[in-house]
Amino acid sequence: MKDIWGCFLIIGLSLILAFVVNAVSPNGIPLFGQWDEKAGVIMAGTTDAHAVKAKEINNPLKVLRLIESGSVILVDVRRADIYEQGHLPGALSFPLYDFETNKKRFLSTLVPEDDILVYCSGITCEDSHTFASKLIKMGFEKVTVYAGGFAEWQEMEFDMETGQTGSNG
Amino acid sequence: MDKDVSYSNSGDAGQGHKKLPNSSRWSIFTEWTLRLVLGLVFIWASWHKILTPDQFAKILYGYGIFPDATINLLAIGVPFIELITGLSLILGLYKRSALILINAMLTGFIIVIAFNLIRGHEFDCGCFSFGDTKGVSSAVELLIRDVFMLGAGLVLWHLFKQESRAATGSSPL
Repeated sequence: MKDIWGCFLIIGLSLILAFVVNAVSPNGIPLFGQWDEKAGVIMAGTTDAHAVKAKEINNPLKVLRLIESGSVILVDVRRADIYEQGHLPGALSFPLYDFETNKKRFLSTLVPEDDILVYCSGITCEDSHTFASKLIKMGFEKVTVYAGGFAEWQEMEFDMETGQTGSNG
Repeated sequence: MDKDVSYSNSGDAGQGHKKLPNSSRWSIFTEWTLRLVLGLVFIWASWHKILTPDQFAKILYGYGIFPDATINLLAIGVPFIELITGLSLILGLYKRSALILINAMLTGFIIVIAFNLIRGHEFDCGCFSFGDTKGVSSAVELLIRDVFMLGAGLVLWHLFKQESRAATGSSPL
């Protein structure tokens, strides 16, 4: 019986510590995340008060229309070698992992007034949001995330480009 | 706090030093080794999850069995239960309770991993680091590892029981 009470004590202490640390940690997450794939990119979220969240487009047909109209600049944030294997038409390659290296080049290519549509590998990939948040913090006003990303685009069998076409990375 | 049984070499005053039987020394050595190993593994496993709960939450999502509303809560709470049980086991504070929780968690991990293996669901366990444990072969490896750890946990439980019997002076039956 004493052992069972000990279990409750350990669990209780652990949970108190867990939620206190989570509340004060810069890496803390909210109590509930976004885990519905139909609603957009799945992620735990953040409790960081300074964090910004980009809007999402969760409709591949809408993305197709935007690309066809030429009204957005597409940014692919996946690794460069994966980008070369296939990407959305006209997308520029700016891998997230190389953000700091490519920052200057990015700023010389795009201006804060540009409509930018960021994507990564798919609905479970958060890199597009991480990249978009960085852009928004840098002063870019019109940054949107394509939630379905490359996986959905491929599934829809829309046109793709391979190689370094449109690459800037 | 658990009552620790002392296998002191000092003996009664006047009797001088009394040697422990080899079996007792072996039990003490085994208990300490298992406590240290299991405790350190749990502390180590908890650390990166505590530092990056968002990634651990995504790993939990990848298991495909937890309801959406529980994922963040588990990602926040479970690593600290791992950490505190690991510390308790090593420090000897509520070590029996800590071991019950460790064995319960290991049983849970084994069930979850086995369930996903059986249904062919690939996942990243996120046990010790993120993103490097994908695939069926590594899932089997971590299942075997968890089974061994549970075995160690059960041996340790047996030693704890022996210890309490010795402390109360009762017979095994």
